[in-house]
Amino acid sequence: MSLLQTLIVRGLSLIVVLITVLFLSVIVLGATGYSDRLLTATVSEELRGLRQSLSQNIRDPTELEQVIEDRREQLIEFYGLDRPWYYRLPDMVFRILTLDLGEARTLRSFTGSNRVSDIVLERLPNTVLLITSATIITSIIGLYVGVKIATQVGSRLERSVSYFSAISYALPAWWLGIIFIILFAFQLRILPSSGMYSVPPPTEPFALFLDKLVHAILPVFTLVIVSVGSWSYAVRTMVLNISQEDFVNVARAKGLPENLVMRRHIIRVAAPPIVTSLILGLTGSLGGAILTETVFGWPGMGRLYYEAILAADESVIVALTFMFTLLYVIARFILEILYVVLDPRVRYK
Amino acid sequence: MSTNRENFQEFFSSTSGKLGSILLVIFILISVFVVFTYPLNFGNTIWSNPSYWSDYPKSAPPTWVSIFGTENVEHQIIDFTSPVDVIPISNQEQRLYSYTLNYDSNISPTFLSLSMYDVVYHDRPPTISVSILRPDNEEILIYRDVISSPRQGEEGPYVRYSDSPFRINLSGDKSVSSNLIEFVQDKSNSQISVNDIVGSNEKYIFSSFSSTNPQEVLHGEYQILIKFVVNNENDSISKIRFVLGGSSYGLLGTDSLGRNLSVGLLFGFPIALLIGLTTSTITTMIGTSMGIISGYTGGRTDTIIQRFADTLSNIPLLPILLFLIFIFGPQLWLVMTILVLFGWPGLTIIIRSMVLQINSSQSIEAAKSLGASKWRIMYRHIFPQLAPFIFAQLVFFTPAAILAEASLSFLGLGDPSIPTWGQILENGFRTGGVYIGYWWWILPPGLLIVITAMIFVFIALALEPVVNPKLKKM
Repeated sequence: MSLLQTLIVRGLSLIVVLITVLFLSVIVLGATGYSDRLLTATVSEELRGLRQSLSQNIRDPTELEQVIEDRREQLIEFYGLDRPWYYRLPDMVFRILTLDLGEARTLRSFTGSNRVSDIVLERLPNTVLLITSATIITSIIGLYVGVKIATQVGSRLERSVSYFSAISYALPAWWLGIIFIILFAFQLRILPSSGMYSVPPPTEPFALFLDKLVHAILPVFTLVIVSVGSWSYAVRTMVLNISQEDFVNVARAKGLPENLVMRRHIIRVAAPPIVTSLILGLTGSLGGAILTETVFGWPGMGRLYYEAILAADESVIVALTFMFTLLYVIARFILEILYVVLDPRVRYK
Repeated sequence: MSTNRENFQEFFSSTSGKLGSILLVIFILISVFVVFTYPLNFGNTIWSNPSYWSDYPKSAPPTWVSIFGTENVEHQIIDFTSPVDVIPISNQEQRLYSYTLNYDSNISPTFLSLSMYDVVYHDRPPTISVSILRPDNEEILIYRDVISSPRQGEEGPYVRYSDSPFRINLSGDKSVSSNLIEFVQDKSNSQISVNDIVGSNEKYIFSSFSSTNPQEVLHGEYQILIKFVVNNENDSISKIRFVLGGSSYGLLGTDSLGRNLSVGLLFGFPIALLIGLTTSTITTMIGTSMGIISGYTGGRTDTIIQRFADTLSNIPLLPILLFLIFIFGPQLWLVMTILVLFGWPGLTIIIRSMVLQINSSQSIEAAKSLGASKWRIMYRHIFPQLAPFIFAQLVFFTPAAILAEASLSFLGLGDPSIPTWGQILENGFRTGGVYIGYWWWILPPGLLIVITAMIFVFIALALEPVVNPKLKKM
């Protein structure tokens, strides 16, 4: 029961974050007149469709104009364009929640649709694929290296990891990506420079998968490099703090083998704070993904952000801001569950 | 408690502390130099003004690449301001300008151009003619023009080209080709036509016309002769500029608009420091005061501040930053404001937990029982204990702000009136510099961003044992 309660509280606070972002964006959109523009565009788009279908049946031009004018007034009232923007707040929030943001100005989905939801949802899996694989690789390497160097403080390896972690904090993911492109794609010519598939893509499913894998190497590698240093360092510090505790000394004094002490008495205790630092690094890796996708032309939501900015496509940008926040909240919640599972104190309070 | 002097020694004894401080001093000196030598509106009037850069070679690599064996032509801008000779001819006056240059490069200039600045005349319009005397004693007239005559109803003296100079690209001008054609046909013994040479006039002007290698350049002394013929001795021209386009330029090359990259990159120094230090100072100030108030006051204030901070610190920064800057327009102060707005909560949460520990200490209890006011305790008794940690946080947050601005610029949302390193890199990336191989356009700005961020990381690293004595070597 208590476990469920904790999760509900965590979940609620994350929903508050999501709603804050939603309202913040809607208020900004309303107060700057963007919401009016978005809705007016939607109205005229609907009227254009109506005019096309009606012109088959109604021959008289004045009658046609009359019908369309009536419909325009209906639509304006329906979308609330006749009232100030703040009356439309709940409606706008709902529209963003359902990604019902009308049509993109110039951007198209890969299948040719210009509906914002089609464009954004099509890219979502690619971003999720990139972020999750990078996070999993980073966590595994970070855990392994972090624990290893915690046992040999002052060694050459420990010092170089510490320096590497400091340097990677100052290393923008996008610049590193550019360097990797120059190095691996143009100098050594061993990896593709951008995109997700070769042109033309292979037809056989397994070859297609391999092709995707090869294209993913550089972006994932970039993301791992920028975050693995600080992560190993965080793990090292946490493990080091706990290994100085009395109960660890007791375990050693009992004569338990070192790897058992490490596994049962140190890592098990260090696990919750390690997950916390993973949580804290989450917004960073999300931002890193946006920039990495842009550099590598990876067709995910981050690259779409860049394209939408260049094309000044506001409805796509609104949708993306919401989707990234949603992605963050979901990832965050998964980590919170992991935290609760790892830390018995939260469960049996 | 260690003394200040011990702290300083501790700080400077580490390699990272020394390296960070030395680099920081260098960066500050460069910034001071830029602040005093650059105009305030550098971005709008110089950097983003294409006509200012029209006399520079486009996408030219740095000059020093010639060390690696690439054949190079030096970029030469020749300004004529005073005539070497004035010859009266009947009621006219011929002003003669000349410049002699020794041309020994194996490739011809990449382009030739002529500009005129501030022409003032009183009666009839002056004429200008440009000819080149080659080492083989052939003098070729390449360009001849009359300044535009008075408009109907215009009163003298007539002013021309005062707002923006008159500029002509001699390499691609058809009238230049027509002037050259007879000479070229004569020298090369072929029936080449005007259309064949237009666009590469400069190659024929500097050609040796060797039958084996048509590209070969005639080495030796060239003389540029410009005649400016006026009808009134009071007529004037402030400057005539003749440019021999180079294949490389300066210390760091140029971009595709011909902008001198080293000039733009220098301007980035004070901007980067300004963004980093201002943002982190304000963020730390707000974060600290909120944290201390929240931790010491407790109760409802504490709850409200903590809920607020918790929500804000949970919002993913880059997406929301992109959204807000896109809607409100790319302005630097706005970027900094948003960074502060979403930056303080993290610090507030940490400071609060530290204050809660200090609260129970005897010194605070003693201050309370002596009747010290709430604000006095917070300012005089809690803050000093946290000060070293707060300072370290300030240093640590500086690179984050610099990198955030750079990322934003890289995504195309940089403030166009203030060129930054991120924007220069973005220009290069968007032009396809990575794929074409304009490394001098891509690598230096990125490297400068990394070095700047690194300076503060190094200083923060060296500060750590000072701030947190537990971490001192075990």
